[in-house]
Amino acid sequence: MSNPWIAIGALAVVALAIPITMMAVSSLLRPRVPEQGKTATYESGEVPTGSSRQIKFNIQYYMVALLFVIFDIETVLIFPWTVIYRDAVGAVGMTKVLLPMVVFIGVLVVGLGWAWRNGAVRWVRSPRATKGADTYE
Amino acid sequence: MQSAPLPETLANLVGLDPNSTPVMILMSLVGAALIGTLMMTNTALAGPWAKRKITAAFTDRIAVNRIGPYGLFIIVADAVRLLSKELIVPDGVDRPAWDLAPLVIASTALLGFAVVPMGSGIHLADPEVGLAYVFATASMASVGLVMAGYASNNKYSFLGGLRAVAQNVAYEIPLILTGASVVIFTGSLQMSEIVAAQQQTLIGPLPSWYAFVNPFAFVLFMIANLAEVGRNPFDIPEAPTEIVAGYQTEYSSVYFVLVYLGEFIHIFLGGAIIATIFLGGPAGPGPASLGIVWFFIKIWGVFLFTQWARSAVPRVRIDQLIEIGWKGMLVLSLANLLLTAVIVGVIA
Repeated sequence: MSNPWIAIGALAVVALAIPITMMAVSSLLRPRVPEQGKTATYESGEVPTGSSRQIKFNIQYYMVALLFVIFDIETVLIFPWTVIYRDAVGAVGMTKVLLPMVVFIGVLVVGLGWAWRNGAVRWVRSPRATKGADTYE
Repeated sequence: MQSAPLPETLANLVGLDPNSTPVMILMSLVGAALIGTLMMTNTALAGPWAKRKITAAFTDRIAVNRIGPYGLFIIVADAVRLLSKELIVPDGVDRPAWDLAPLVIASTALLGFAVVPMGSGIHLADPEVGLAYVFATASMASVGLVMAGYASNNKYSFLGGLRAVAQNVAYEIPLILTGASVVIFTGSLQMSEIVAAQQQTLIGPLPSWYAFVNPFAFVLFMIANLAEVGRNPFDIPEAPTEIVAGYQTEYSSVYFVLVYLGEFIHIFLGGAIIATIFLGGPAGPGPASLGIVWFFIKIWGVFLFTQWARSAVPRVRIDQLIEIGWKGMLVLSLANLLLTAVIVGVIA
């Protein structure tokens, strides 16, 4: 049994070689006709104004990104547990294996509930979008 | 069912020593080229031809039928047409990132197929962390989408990139947690072990595929997978009626081909994950050498399902998408994980 990562590395080489070959073939085939106005970014036919990197985007959404980091690490911690679960149940009994994970997921669910109540998992929470909704938390 | 990985089989086939490292590197490259060609062929069939035909069938049209039998030669015509288009570099693009994004999107999706057992001995590598590896490569595409959206200097692209992140972030966790519930049954992340664990029969003629053992997890995974590959009802990042084409608005010529190609390989990778962990991998009636046929029938089945959803299901709004992901799918997938653990614990 050889090291499987040699084969994975080989596929990485192939996976890069295929798109690069396509780029090379295309650069041989395609014409190049530089013209004024052709390179304007597409804005439904209007003359583009300003840079796209000046868009004011709702920063409130960083809360969802934070939640993602927490739950992503959680999945990393759950994976080893799922791998040993079946054998461990046979060895030490179900309660000892399952209960810690129930507590762990419970803590996370409480956290999710808190974020949910605070409106963190909501796409827009600007005053303008929610004007008139006084009960809005 | 357990067979040697592809490079070893190839080395034995040509009579070289499979224990020497240079031979293995060479054979791995040959095997990888085979897998790459196989997936590129499938994508070529799916992108310019099958997708059009399927959508046409759903909307009562005929679609491509002029060049070759059933219009099949449109694949060649389209390849030449798209590759020979002028590459327009828009004003103010963030240059290295703009060029790298199509490369990242196309090649990371292809990378996942290294560990997928396709049957008939076509299984490039079988590391112990197979399932974790395939999830990792499948989610790397989001990086490419952000790069494309940010670097394009286009407001539609920027919004599309942000939406792509929001969506992948919301559906990644349900997807992986549901995948983990399968690992509770198998007790291994190795792809060959997961396939081998699904070989018994469940009831009557029904095989013990995890889609039948745990249909709830299967449905959750199918939905999360639709979001992961960005097809209706979750095609928010591209939403042609709202933001033109999202992150791919400014891409033309070969870069457009690569972004599009990456998306299709990604759909097939999603199909391959579903086939392996829920549908018994290459298992099916008939001799084991037919495995690859069954495997491709399964991933084309998943492809057909995504195209069906694309034609038949209306798009959800971005705020609905976030709510479904964080309030619905995440809670359900956690419940599924604990329920599976309880059931396996009681049986074991």
